[in-house]
Amino acid sequence: MQPGHFPANLLFILIFLAANAFFLFTVYKLYRIMRLGQPEERFDHVGERLKGVATFVLGQRRVINEPAGWGHFFIFWGFVVITIGSIETFGVGIYHGFAYWKFLGKGVTSLLYLIQDLLCFAVVVALCISLYRRFVIKPERLRYEHQRAANQDASIIIGLIILLVVLLLGARAVEYLLSQNEATAYFPTSAFISVAVANVFRGLSQDGLQGWYSFFWWSHTLIILIFLVYIPFSKHLHLLGAIPNVFFRRFSSMGELSKMDLEDETAETFGVSRIEEFTWKQLLDLYACTECGRCSENCPATLTGKPLSPKLTIHHLREHLQNKGKVLLSQHGEEQTDAANPEGELARALVGEICQHDELWSCTTCGNCMENCPVFIEHIHKYVDMRRYLVLMESSFPAEVQNVMRNWETNSNPWGLGFATRGDWARGLPVKTLAEDSHVEYLFYVGCAGSFDDRAKKISSAMVKLLNEAGVSFSILGPEEKCCGETARRIGNEYLFQTMAAELVETINSYGVRKIVTTCPHGYNCFKNEYPQFGGEWEVYHHSEVLLTLLQDGRLQTKLPMNKHVVFHDSCYLGRYNSIYDQPRHLIRSISGVRFSEMDRSRNKSFCCGAGGGRMWMEETLGDRKINDARTEQALALRPDIISVSCPFCTTMFEDGLKDQNMEEEVKVYDLAELLAQSIDS
Amino acid sequence: MAEGVCIIAEFREGGFRRVSFEIASEGRRLADELGEPLLALALGESIDALAGDLGCYGVEKVYVVDNPILKDYKAETYVPVAAQILQNLDPKVVITPASVDGKDFSARLAARLGAGLATDCTELKVERGSLKAKRPMYAGKAFAWYEWSDGSYPQMASCRPNVMDCLAPDTSKKAEVEKAEVEVVGGTQTEVVSIEKDAGGKLDLTEAEIIVSGGRGMKGPENFAMLEELAKLLGAAVGASRSAVDSGWRPHADQVGQTGKVVTPNLYIACGISGAIQHLAGMSSSKYIVAVNKDPEAPIFTKADYGVVEDLFQFLPNFIEEIKTLKSTC
Repeated sequence: MQPGHFPANLLFILIFLAANAFFLFTVYKLYRIMRLGQPEERFDHVGERLKGVATFVLGQRRVINEPAGWGHFFIFWGFVVITIGSIETFGVGIYHGFAYWKFLGKGVTSLLYLIQDLLCFAVVVALCISLYRRFVIKPERLRYEHQRAANQDASIIIGLIILLVVLLLGARAVEYLLSQNEATAYFPTSAFISVAVANVFRGLSQDGLQGWYSFFWWSHTLIILIFLVYIPFSKHLHLLGAIPNVFFRRFSSMGELSKMDLEDETAETFGVSRIEEFTWKQLLDLYACTECGRCSENCPATLTGKPLSPKLTIHHLREHLQNKGKVLLSQHGEEQTDAANPEGELARALVGEICQHDELWSCTTCGNCMENCPVFIEHIHKYVDMRRYLVLMESSFPAEVQNVMRNWETNSNPWGLGFATRGDWARGLPVKTLAEDSHVEYLFYVGCAGSFDDRAKKISSAMVKLLNEAGVSFSILGPEEKCCGETARRIGNEYLFQTMAAELVETINSYGVRKIVTTCPHGYNCFKNEYPQFGGEWEVYHHSEVLLTLLQDGRLQTKLPMNKHVVFHDSCYLGRYNSIYDQPRHLIRSISGVRFSEMDRSRNKSFCCGAGGGRMWMEETLGDRKINDARTEQALALRPDIISVSCPFCTTMFEDGLKDQNMEEEVKVYDLAELLAQSIDS
Repeated sequence: MAEGVCIIAEFREGGFRRVSFEIASEGRRLADELGEPLLALALGESIDALAGDLGCYGVEKVYVVDNPILKDYKAETYVPVAAQILQNLDPKVVITPASVDGKDFSARLAARLGAGLATDCTELKVERGSLKAKRPMYAGKAFAWYEWSDGSYPQMASCRPNVMDCLAPDTSKKAEVEKAEVEVVGGTQTEVVSIEKDAGGKLDLTEAEIIVSGGRGMKGPENFAMLEELAKLLGAAVGASRSAVDSGWRPHADQVGQTGKVVTPNLYIACGISGAIQHLAGMSSSKYIVAVNKDPEAPIFTKADYGVVEDLFQFLPNFIEEIKTLKSTC
């Protein structure tokens, strides 16, 4: 069956069309299932989005953040170039005389072959390394509950690609020996690897070579088509899901949660309790996952043994989506279901069965999963959507959360301390309230911890001292201040959050405030990224930003040296959520005498202190250790004198961690403002 | 015409809950001021023999419904029964405990009777022949007095446990016990399968009048024996701060604080607890707070009524001895 000659070409065309039809049909089904999701606007910024595809798909920008990602880089590009080559191969299958050089010229074609040859080699090397990694090194992040099935899937894929590449090299080699077209003359340069392979076949008769060529061509082509058919059923679905997922990625900060329409009188449920209640983009996320495990590898919950692994969450959701999606579509009369038990599939509870309660409550919303995901899957928003269902519909949450919610409701602070005493921390300090003076540059939003917690009050006082020293005009809200509500939102109590947000926005706007500075990254993120949903449009600054500007403008000067070894812990809501990494470091380094060290997990890979996402108000009883202990240990490994932080909740978590390890005398925890205040002290 | 003050007793594990005696004592006082008889309602299983004991606290007559269906509290069984009896009895005032069950029960009962209900009261009094009830608001930072509209009977109030004074029982008195003729309907949609008790079976922290609590300053689980001993002498429950629980010295059930139990005892003795806000949030509404800590800067002292700045390992043994002496002399 010589390729490209009748009847081989007819047979090929039939197989080719059948495979493509099957592929398109499967993809269309996946598309229909995705469209079961709710609407979401992701069609803005088209130019930016295309640029993102160039950077993150073609450039593999996030993939190559990890050494293993370079392997992927070569496999990806090898695949792209092989696919370009495949068009020629398919062309030959239709008409034996088809060849690129006839259109592109010998120069370009030779260059293409050269690249193809090199990449084929690189792909084989990369795939061998990946097999070694999976089966010998066995990194934690490739671990699976159904390890055998996962390995089998991976092996099939890797095996197919290796075969594909080897067969391509073989075909090229024989092609060279047959010298069947004019481009082959250049092969010793353009396809030198193939030419090296050709040595194996030297000395065979023309017929023998022709036989080998047919064999290579057919097996190579059939494997491509098998691959095409297999993709949508394997984790290599990501070939289809990742590109659109990068295109439709989130542009706002990951710190912005969606605003629920609580006024919708037709709404029968709130939050997400059925897979089809996610938006289509959230469902597309599931197709994009290739189970690389970078999310779980960086997840503080996974790493401390909690029953949460973002990778598994996505995996379970995808499985459920595909099973339930088929049944749902069949109900719409669109297709027959092949599910063994359609009723059973529909009856499986998303929350409680597919995703366990403990799993949902273990998330600290630190964003490490999202930051490290090469294909921009948005995990946190799914967890919060399901928490919303639990809280708003089922009143189901860890028992201790009841207390904190009631305290927010009655006193607008998590501890339930009298709301009228909120401004008391500032008594005796040179601080005005907006009611006394609203003609100021900044509103200093103190926050709950800064107002009520004796420890965090010291941070507020340090901030007051610094602002006054620099001659910055500012006021606080004092007793008029209320909790920003961000934690209530992350726990899933959107109703409470919206009530709190509306009240605080109204108060702040009534004073015509334009700039806000806060010492709490949680309030900062909430004001900056979430209050615009409620009419709060201000310039919002974290104190590290303002303090650095004051230093750079010479309005603050560090005087006293501090001969200490300092490490800095990036708060998730400041770093990953709002990309503030450099300001705190500049501040610390501005103090003379300080020896500064970076922790292993720092900047965008910083490890959560354990307090985010409402975890501050829950008991941490699951897992093999506490997140704050793990993080404190990471800091202590550098033997610092001071652990510097930028968040009052991180402060508490580290101080508790130090106490647990009996290191509270040796190592101190200071907020940036405290460090700076110590250094300007005369 | 409505008459009589009626309390609704609560049982637990085959005996009265203490709050039943508290509301009986309070009921006695109110009944005297109103010049009305004091009645009681007792629902449960195998409580016939007990019911008369309410007489020790001044109850004149107890209406009893003794039925296996009423073994455990369930709104679906208790509320219709109590409502039937009270509709016939037509009392002027009804007092219930504001316990966990009582809160559920009283609200449903009031709705069924169409009565006004003041929940979780800390003080009751009579003015111009009518009840007035005081209840805390804003987590105890303010109090509100409630009155009932003219002609609205019964005037219902639920009383917080451990707040009302309990009369010294007069064991010579027994209440008249009458079996109430009502239909008890079982076969409800819910069923109490089992009641799991918290391990240890100790005095419930949230109900204890006195709590002795230890923190990291206790230095180790073995030293809690001192607190146990002190607690036994005082009839107190033993609590712990989060760090003591985190260190594995005490079970989580003992944790007082933001994410543990929120307690409001009359006396809270904090030993070796620095007083982080997470802890204060759970105990700052205690009536009297005594802090023992060797660090005079510990934040707990800003919340304490009495502070002892001393090493607790010096102080506690002496204190325990002193209490023993006091107890033996009186």
